[in-house]
Amino acid sequence: MRKLTFLLVLIFFVSIFVISSSGTIVTAQSKVEPIIIGVPSSLKLLESAEGHKAIILAAEEINAKGGVKVGNIKRPLKVEAIETRDGEPGVPIADAMLAIEKLFLEKKPHAVVLGPFRSEVLLAAMDIYAQYKMPSINVAMTPKFVEKYLQDPQKYRHSFRMMDAKYVVGYLTNVMAKLQKDFGFNKVYIVVQDVLWSTAIGNGMQGWFQKNNWDVKGYDKYPTGASDFSTTLIKAKQSGAQVIMPIFDMSTSGILVQQWKDMKVPALMAGFISPLMGSKAWTTFGDKIEGVINVVFQAGNIPLKKYPPATKFYEAYTKRWGEQQSGHMPSESYDSVYILAAAIERAGSLDPEKIIKEIEKTDMVGCIGRIKFADHQFIFGNDPKTSAIAVVYQWKKGGRRVPVFPDSIAEEKIEKPSWMK
Amino acid sequence: MIVYGFINSVILALMALGFSLTFGISRVANFAHGGFYILGGILTWFFLMKVGLSYPIAAISAVLIVGIIGALMYRVLLIRLRGLELSEVITTFAVGIVILELLRSIGFMGFDYRIPIFIDGSIEIFGQYVGLQRVIIVIAGGFLLIALYLFVHYTKIGLAFRGVAQEDHTALSVGINPDKISLLSLFAGSVICALAAILILPLGSISIDEGYDVLIKALAVCIIGGLESSLGVIVASFIIGYIEVVTAMYISSSLTMVTTLGAMLLILLIKPSGIFGKSKDIEERV
Repeated sequence: MRKLTFLLVLIFFVSIFVISSSGTIVTAQSKVEPIIIGVPSSLKLLESAEGHKAIILAAEEINAKGGVKVGNIKRPLKVEAIETRDGEPGVPIADAMLAIEKLFLEKKPHAVVLGPFRSEVLLAAMDIYAQYKMPSINVAMTPKFVEKYLQDPQKYRHSFRMMDAKYVVGYLTNVMAKLQKDFGFNKVYIVVQDVLWSTAIGNGMQGWFQKNNWDVKGYDKYPTGASDFSTTLIKAKQSGAQVIMPIFDMSTSGILVQQWKDMKVPALMAGFISPLMGSKAWTTFGDKIEGVINVVFQAGNIPLKKYPPATKFYEAYTKRWGEQQSGHMPSESYDSVYILAAAIERAGSLDPEKIIKEIEKTDMVGCIGRIKFADHQFIFGNDPKTSAIAVVYQWKKGGRRVPVFPDSIAEEKIEKPSWMK
Repeated sequence: MIVYGFINSVILALMALGFSLTFGISRVANFAHGGFYILGGILTWFFLMKVGLSYPIAAISAVLIVGIIGALMYRVLLIRLRGLELSEVITTFAVGIVILELLRSIGFMGFDYRIPIFIDGSIEIFGQYVGLQRVIIVIAGGFLLIALYLFVHYTKIGLAFRGVAQEDHTALSVGINPDKISLLSLFAGSVICALAAILILPLGSISIDEGYDVLIKALAVCIIGGLESSLGVIVASFIIGYIEVVTAMYISSSLTMVTTLGAMLLILLIKPSGIFGKSKDIEERV
């Protein structure tokens, strides 16, 4: 009995020792301060929510390999997000700014990725980044970002950005030129959401159409939340438009496509509509969206047979989160973490000035293509081996998203809807 | 334009009918209307897609749940605030925001939440192709209005509704309990609101933000038509429906909401109680 008691006491103390020893190891590990990545964005919006998930995925992958090497120490990444609500209607810019400052003051991030959803908020946030000397890689799309950066590159040196509406214009103009060449189309009807980024694309496209012998039959702007597009479709039909070019990121814009099919408007729908972006759109809308041509801003948000890194990310995201993505922000958000990690390793320091110098020098292969910056803006092109790319795809029978442009990754040709043939 | 103006008008009438019915009987301006609308849609989606119920059972369940929540809102919250109109508005508005933001925070965001359309396809009406779901909305809207008319004119509860709407103290003197009738009016208004959602939401995907838009549209319709008048709701819906279509067709689609709210302001200037409104105290005050 005495032996048994002794044995139990011994086991108890050994256990305590083992537990406390392992605790020491954990503590020793946790003494390595993590690198904090701030994610201030409108996280209740699908795009930002998925971007946030992609950031977590990238951080987990990097941490699984030991973290980011800063000097001689490998430090883990820690993602700290804050809800800015800037993508929700009626939320003042000042409220989003307060949220960003709260993140900076409470969580003390070393850098920011994703950033605000709305362009107007990003423009305001650039001053906060400058004030806090915060390296940031953002997503909001207004061309005014580069304009503002170029006004005072020294002041706004902490701000980088991954997409620009002007590139979307570039892709759309190429697609329109292709439609003109393949089908002889030259009459277009433009319909956009009445917000800064989409009207910028709409205006840019209108200018291009007018310079390239297209007849712009109409240009309608709809307030966010509009749910009936019949007047635009009637006008497009009556005017003989062969292409309807929509630019929308509001949820009700799916109605436009359904009405287009219900009303059998004999025009190809080619532009950007967020609700039709992901693979799940076919489950949501069914064959109503067959024939629609959509731009997904970056490779990786759609798998590409001709560019494996895009497919690799797409599958990794699906595996990690148990569902396919629906938005257009995950791939660039994912790459932004790798850009940041690589810049920190090259800098060998968390000094913001050293980090931004290294981000400027970025030249790496990501899931969105080859990544380089000019004027703190991703360079986009038509070949993922030389630049980042957006992908133009068409919804085809059976719910397939088929890349049709640029030619470097195109898998099939563009087809007209059945009622146009 | 005539065809789609008509359809648009019926959609607006459906959106506003529940709000108007509740206010007409109980004088409660139910600012949770937009929240109930989206809740009706989300519950239907949930019962259909996640629970696997059949369409009719899912729809009836969603409608009843929203109706019960409307009745509970009256029984638990509003009954204590009767007569304090501003407090009633603030309370119902708060309930609406809680519903919408709660749905958002538990993950109902994005474009995947959609109630299937009843019948796919389109038919030609006056040379214009129209989706069958829109045709169903018009037919169902017509049936709903007729059913509502018959209910309030030829049933005991309906007559009690009218009695309380006309003069609640007098109704009390003949044995009608105004609180009970007000509770039922909240139930009925919420049921109609959820029904409208089930009919209209299959046109697109369910977006939480649409709840706020629906409230604004319902308010605009009711203020123009007269807050308590069902006939006013129908007339105002057609006025706004066609104003929107004409604005989009000939001026700018981005100004449809501006012209709608402009019409509302104009009516408030000329006839503050609305076209068919009977709130004399408002007229006298003005």
